[in-house]
Amino acid sequence: MMLTLLSVLVLGLSMLTTAAAQSKGVVYYLVPTLLDEFQTGSVSALEMFLKQTGYEMKTLNADNKTDAQQSQMNDVIALKPSAIILAAVDFNALKPSIEAARAAGIPVVEFDRQVTSTMSDFTSVAGTIEIGHVAADQAEAMLKAKKGDVTGKILQVLGDPGDPYTLDIQKGFEEKMKAFPGVTIISVPALQWEASNAGTIVADQMLANPDIDLIFLHAAHLSVAAVASLEAAGKKPGDVMMMSSNGAPVGLDLIRKGWLNTEVEQPLYAQAAAIAMFMDKIVAKQEIKAGEYDVLGLKGVVTIEAWGPNIKIPGAAITKENVDNPAFWGNMKPPAGTVESVK
Amino acid sequence: MHPRSRITLEFILDNLVWFMLIVVLALFSALIPNYFQIGIFTNIIEASSVLGVMSIGLALVIITGHMDLSVESVAALSAMAVGILFCSAGIGMGIKLSPEWLMIPVSLLLACAIGALIGLFNGFLVVKLKMSAFIITLASFIWVRGIVLAVSGGRSAQDLDPAIRWFAIERFAGIPLSAWIAIGCFLVFSVMMAKTPFGRHLIMIGGNETATFRAGIRVTRNLIIAFVMAGAIAGLAGWLLAIRTSGATANLGVGLLFNAFAAVVIGGVSLKGGVGALPGVYAGVLLLASINTAINLMGLPANYTQVIHGFLVLAAVLLDTFKQRLRQRLA
Repeated sequence: MMLTLLSVLVLGLSMLTTAAAQSKGVVYYLVPTLLDEFQTGSVSALEMFLKQTGYEMKTLNADNKTDAQQSQMNDVIALKPSAIILAAVDFNALKPSIEAARAAGIPVVEFDRQVTSTMSDFTSVAGTIEIGHVAADQAEAMLKAKKGDVTGKILQVLGDPGDPYTLDIQKGFEEKMKAFPGVTIISVPALQWEASNAGTIVADQMLANPDIDLIFLHAAHLSVAAVASLEAAGKKPGDVMMMSSNGAPVGLDLIRKGWLNTEVEQPLYAQAAAIAMFMDKIVAKQEIKAGEYDVLGLKGVVTIEAWGPNIKIPGAAITKENVDNPAFWGNMKPPAGTVESVK
Repeated sequence: MHPRSRITLEFILDNLVWFMLIVVLALFSALIPNYFQIGIFTNIIEASSVLGVMSIGLALVIITGHMDLSVESVAALSAMAVGILFCSAGIGMGIKLSPEWLMIPVSLLLACAIGALIGLFNGFLVVKLKMSAFIITLASFIWVRGIVLAVSGGRSAQDLDPAIRWFAIERFAGIPLSAWIAIGCFLVFSVMMAKTPFGRHLIMIGGNETATFRAGIRVTRNLIIAFVMAGAIAGLAGWLLAIRTSGATANLGVGLLFNAFAAVVIGGVSLKGGVGALPGVYAGVLLLASINTAINLMGLPANYTQVIHGFLVLAAVLLDTFKQRLRQRLA
């Protein structure tokens, strides 16, 4: 009996060892929250691409809490993984933890949220400020098409004011809209990124400022509630121009229904694929060269910044014309091809 | 003090929160451009529907001297269940029933049943096993939100069936039907608390549980019913949340619990139990919605809105404390 048990144990252990041998190592992904579709999508995309390049991925969710993410960093450092991928809840609060991981010889990769206050081994972003710039370009085009000139009133519904992600988009958007003094921007935050808060803001503002030409929401899930408010106020698709950012499936559905004019996409698949492409070099601590790289057909530009190698893949504007393009992550059709490691 | 002055003062103290609401509305109307209009006041009533309904359940449990921290997550789970079954986009299954009107009672019953079940679970552990309501309902707050995340996978349900959405769009006397549901709930539960033996027993339990038990009142049964009712009402709040936002996201309703607590306290319900009436709670809810609307319209820098919100709530609670002290002096 004992012998049988021992044999089963040995067999189980040998199977585990074989599985471990097939993998190049374990990479931990520290996701800030799983309460929005982009973050949920980032887990499956990273897992899929890293598997293609030979890595096993484990995910820890910080529930949007900086202190929880700091503790997770400390725990993961003790586990000595091949690398840590971090999408920081707070851009700067994680600085000591990043430094501790690197001091322990564990490479740290920043995903989606750029940490510029300390060195990282690699950063893959769409650029939050750049998303604001793309949105501003879209706003400019929409206002011009509607009024013949770039003038009017924009309601900007931010996410939680405690999240640097939304503040960066706001910064980029307002920075570029400064060129048009005839445009008034009203900015109101939807606390905790909660959809019904966004709905209330839109309902109130449409009464206080019925001449609002365009509503810009910082996440697609907020636009669902905004549309519900407009619908309750008797509005029809197209009565008020709308755009949002992140390219979530719900945003794409609203474009198809005619409520949303534009969705500024974060290229989730490409951002995740870029990390997988460079993971061998990151783990081996090899030099990553600056230049242009093809990431799933998109042009990713690697620059060597003060905080380390940084790949930026620009977000695209999704409109009625291109909404069905399977390359947009909101269409939930992961790329069929496999990602190759950069040599 | 002259008896007439005393009666007047007591009337003012009993309804202080309503006077505060009138003063706040007058101030905002005078100072904030575009605040003074029927549409904004209608918005305030509409925006307070979800919070209002949730506050009723929370107030019932607090009046008994206990606590239910799970109401926010219960509402989110009920909203997600309705969203998944009756939404046609995102993760919605787009289920349709025939005849169409059947979707309203079925979705409503489902939402309330989910809430009632969690309420029963909380009530059983708190009342029968004598565990701390704070800890048990805090645990429920966490695990129920976890279920929302697990069943949705972090994705959203969108496009609630028009047969159910109808409540958020149609209006009676200029006010959306969803807000009338909240007003109706306040009326029904206010009468229940003030005029029925069950309501009076809940207040007595909150005042002194042992004495109430010795008076022959079935404390255990009444307390469990209070928890079940709080859960079911939170389920109703979730149903309203789903129809208001035409679906459900995994973070739907986040932060509602703290506002519900603020509304209940501002409305004059004592956190120690045994004191409080639901009309005051409704005034507290309207007061918070008025403040939120003012913040929305003022166009303040995003970073400061929470500070202002917090201080305004603090001011309202301080005023309530002042009221209690004055009442003690009068007694």
